[in-house]
Amino acid sequence: MITLKNVCKKYDRDFALKNVNLNIKKGSFVAITGESGSGKTTLLSILSTLLKPNSGEIVFEDTEYKEIKNIDKFRQENIGFVFQFHYLINYLNVKENILLANEKASDKSIDELLTILEIQKLKNYYPNEISGGQRQRVAIARALINRPKVIFADEPTGNLDSKNSLNVFNLFKSLAKSGVTIIVATHDKELAKLADITLEVKDGQL
Amino acid sequence: MKGLYLLLAIKAIKANRLKTSLIILSLVFSITSIFLITSISNGVISMYSSMLKSDGDIIITQKNISDTFFSNVDIKLIEKIETLDEVTKASALIVGASMVEELPIVAVYGVTKNRFENYNLIQGSYPKENEVLLGKSIYENLDKKDEIKLSNKVFKVAGVFESSIGFENGGAVLNINDASKIFNKSASMIMVNCKIDTDIEKLALKINLFDKEIEAKSTSNFVDNYNQFKIIKTSSNVISFISFCMGLLTIASILSITINQRKSEFGIKRAIGISMKKIILQIVNEAVILGVLGFFIALIISNLALFLIKNNSFLQGYVNGEISLDITIFIFFTTLTISILGSIFPALNASKTDPIVLIQGDKI
Repeated sequence: MITLKNVCKKYDRDFALKNVNLNIKKGSFVAITGESGSGKTTLLSILSTLLKPNSGEIVFEDTEYKEIKNIDKFRQENIGFVFQFHYLINYLNVKENILLANEKASDKSIDELLTILEIQKLKNYYPNEISGGQRQRVAIARALINRPKVIFADEPTGNLDSKNSLNVFNLFKSLAKSGVTIIVATHDKELAKLADITLEVKDGQL
Repeated sequence: MKGLYLLLAIKAIKANRLKTSLIILSLVFSITSIFLITSISNGVISMYSSMLKSDGDIIITQKNISDTFFSNVDIKLIEKIETLDEVTKASALIVGASMVEELPIVAVYGVTKNRFENYNLIQGSYPKENEVLLGKSIYENLDKKDEIKLSNKVFKVAGVFESSIGFENGGAVLNINDASKIFNKSASMIMVNCKIDTDIEKLALKINLFDKEIEAKSTSNFVDNYNQFKIIKTSSNVISFISFCMGLLTIASILSITINQRKSEFGIKRAIGISMKKIILQIVNEAVILGVLGFFIALIISNLALFLIKNNSFLQGYVNGEISLDITIFIFFTTLTISILGSIFPALNASKTDPIVLIQGDKI
């Protein structure tokens, strides 16, 4: 589904990624692990179109990233993001935060999604009225509303307790089973074991 | 869909209350000052020009003077003018000003007898020698109502008139001979009325030949080219423009600060694929909503301020501005321009937020 060929990324003179080759299949649950500064976040940013590599090729299905003309449309149609900080908009309620990602989403589809994520009662709550774990679930709902082909998550459990962290990873696992490709960057090696594939980044190399 | 973006804009405005209030406040100040300066200057011009236009097709003043206050025309010219076939009436007017009791300045009009009929008498009679006819508003302000001191000379109050023109209603009218002694001039200007179908410009040229020291112009030509009106208009435009710029800069700077604080919001919008155009639209929407709100608050405050100014007895109606529909529409579009121009650059900045900032969470 996503193929990286000889991808390099440099910050100033230092290589963050060096000749990375990778092939991620559709519906797989991939965990990228590594020490702080190892390059895992850079790899996730490049895979998710947020960062451009200095050299190399990235192919998403049959499209090379360099050929994408409308990046906004591409992200909206193919990618969902979950970040360490949930980045929900505080002045919008749960439903409106989800609608932001897909203004055409029906009430029914939002309700279904919230039910799957077990937060259906929080539809009209504001982010500051719910817990950290619930916020992260809302962020996942926002990432899922467009039915993306792949979800990128950067340290999604960084601000959660162990119980909520496990819940989030189990949720990713079930999403992967339904055909959504999940790529997660995490420093938690125990949680990473729940993924189908674990990739360890060390000094910019896999 | 449009409803969602409007809702987003309204919710964002509500969420940033302090900055929203600052933006509205600065807009109200700048729009109110544009309203007041425009309507007051238009009011002054309209009062003086309607006074001039009320009687006379041609106005004769001294040549090359900057203000009618400084004009001195020989009143004997009336006799010559009246010999012309096209002329139905010629009258003279001295325009001056004097202190009266506590009032710092009162307009004084010395007029020939044939101009008395222009003043709508509500009490007493037209003035004879050493008598004065007072406008309603100055009469009501006087402590001593039977006589008035103008430039150290005491005049008996013969009657009271009412005029819709503030300059007249707050002024004193006397015989031109009395005014001539006070202001030491023959006449400030001569007004000429013509028969219907008269070629006014041609007649003005004919009158100009009577005396090389005079300048005869059609009333409309005079009003359009009167230097004092040009000065008032230019000053008003300059002050309005400064207010416009102040409003613009305040919106731009406050919005820039707000947008910087909402970086993660725009970052996430960019990450989830919301186009730059939609982000720009949301911020411009927010500014336009604030602009429209500021406009209506400013409209109410301006009307209230003008009402208080108009009814302040100390000002005797000299400062009188009315907010016409033309001015309202003009200022409404000015407000929209301020809102759109003031928000466009912060909006562009917001739309360019790189979603990578979300990954570098601690740097937001």
